[in-house]
Amino acid sequence: MQYSNPEIPEGINTTKEHPLKEFAILSGGIIGIIVLVVLSLSLLAEMLAPRIPFSMEQELAARFIDKTEIESSEEIYIQSLADTLGRQMTLPEDMSVTLHYVDDNVQNAFATLGGHIYIHRGLLELMPNENALSMVIAHEIAHVQHRHPVIAMGRGVVIGLFLAAITGMNGDRFVGGLVNNAGVITVLGFSREQEREADQTALAAVEKHYGHVSGASDLFKAMLQLEESQILQAPQFFNTHPLSTERIAIIEQYAAENSWSIDAKTTPLSISLENPL
Amino acid sequence: MIELIIIMALLLIGYVVGTHLEKSHYHSIKERETELNNIPAIASKVLPAEFDTCETTLVAGNVVISVDYFKKFVAGLRIIVGGRVSTFETLIDRARREAILRMKEEARQLGADYVFNIKMETSSISKGQKNAIGSVEVLAYGTAIIRK
Repeated sequence: MQYSNPEIPEGINTTKEHPLKEFAILSGGIIGIIVLVVLSLSLLAEMLAPRIPFSMEQELAARFIDKTEIESSEEIYIQSLADTLGRQMTLPEDMSVTLHYVDDNVQNAFATLGGHIYIHRGLLELMPNENALSMVIAHEIAHVQHRHPVIAMGRGVVIGLFLAAITGMNGDRFVGGLVNNAGVITVLGFSREQEREADQTALAAVEKHYGHVSGASDLFKAMLQLEESQILQAPQFFNTHPLSTERIAIIEQYAAENSWSIDAKTTPLSISLENPL
Repeated sequence: MIELIIIMALLLIGYVVGTHLEKSHYHSIKERETELNNIPAIASKVLPAEFDTCETTLVAGNVVISVDYFKKFVAGLRIIVGGRVSTFETLIDRARREAILRMKEEARQLGADYVFNIKMETSSISKGQKNAIGSVEVLAYGTAIIRK
C-alpha cells in the first residue's frame, strides 16, 4: 500500500484578512463605544449630581476636612475676599465657601465638596495684584456655585466603575491602558468645559466687585511664562484645564463683548508673603 | 500621554518585527515541508501488515512560539467583543507545522520511511503578572517506521 501526504493548500487555517484591518476596526469600535458610554454617563452625572442638596455635600466634606486649625493672616485675607465676591455672585442661601491656605510651594488652587476652597502659597506668590487673586478665588467659588465638585465626584464614581469593569475583565494591561486613556480623555473634555464656565462666571464677579476686569488675566500670563519654560508640553486634550493662552484669549474676548474695562488701575495685594517671588 | 506613546511604540515594533519573523518562518516551513514530503505522516493507529517486520521507534518534535505585542493587543481587544481571534490563527498554524517538521526531521535522521499514529499536544504558556508572557507549545509525536 502506498502512503503519501498531499500538499495542503496554503492559508486554509488562517485568515486572509490583513491584521491591520482587524486592529483598526477593533480599536476604533471599542474606543468609540467607550467614548459614547463615558459621554452619556457624564451627562447623566451632570444632570443628577446637582440634585444632591448642598447640605449633604457639606456633611460629606465634614468627615475628612478639619477646620479647627488657627486661621493665619493669609487665610483671613482670602476668606474676606471670598465673602465679598460671594455676595457679588449671589450664592444661594444655603451655600457658603470656606477658604483654606496651604503653606507649601504647590502652584495650585482648587475647590472641593462642601464649598471648601484651597489656595497654596506657591500660587499666591505668583499673584501680581489683588485682581488676579480675586479672579482665582471667584473662579473657585464659581466651581462651587455650579456644583462642579459634586458632579466630578458622581462622574468619577460611575465612570471609574465602568472602566474598571472593562479593564478588570481584560487581562492585557496595555489594552486596559488604552481603555482608560480613551475614558479619561473624554472626561477631560468635560473638565475643560467646566473651567471655561467657571472663568466666565468669575470674570463677571470680578467686574462687579472692582468695576473693571484689569488684572484678571494676569495670573494666566504668569502661568504662561512658566509653561513656556517647560520643554515638553502635552496637547490640550490631555489636560484638565484649557491652555493658558486660550484662557487669556477667552477672558479678553468676554471682556470686550461686555465692554468691560481692561486697562484700569489694579489693586495691590494687602498682605506681604514671607518669601515673595 | 506617555502611556499612549509607549503603547504605540510597542505596537509598531510588535507589528513590524512580528510580521517579518512570521513571513520568514512561513518561508522556511514551506521549504522544509516540500523537502520532507517523502516521509508521510499518517494518523492511523493500526500498522499495515507489510510493516510487521519493520523497526519502529518513537519520534517527537516540540516547539514553543511566542505571540508578539501586536497580536496580543489585537486579541486583547477581541475578547471584549468576541469572534475569531485571527491574529492567533497564524501562530497556532506555524507551531503545529513546525512541530511536525521537527518530528519528521528526527525520523529522517533515523532513516525512517513513514511516521504512523501521529498525535499532537498543545499547551499555552502564560506566566508573569497578568500573563505578560503568552506563548504556545506544540508537541507532535508518532511512531517512525524504519524498513530494514
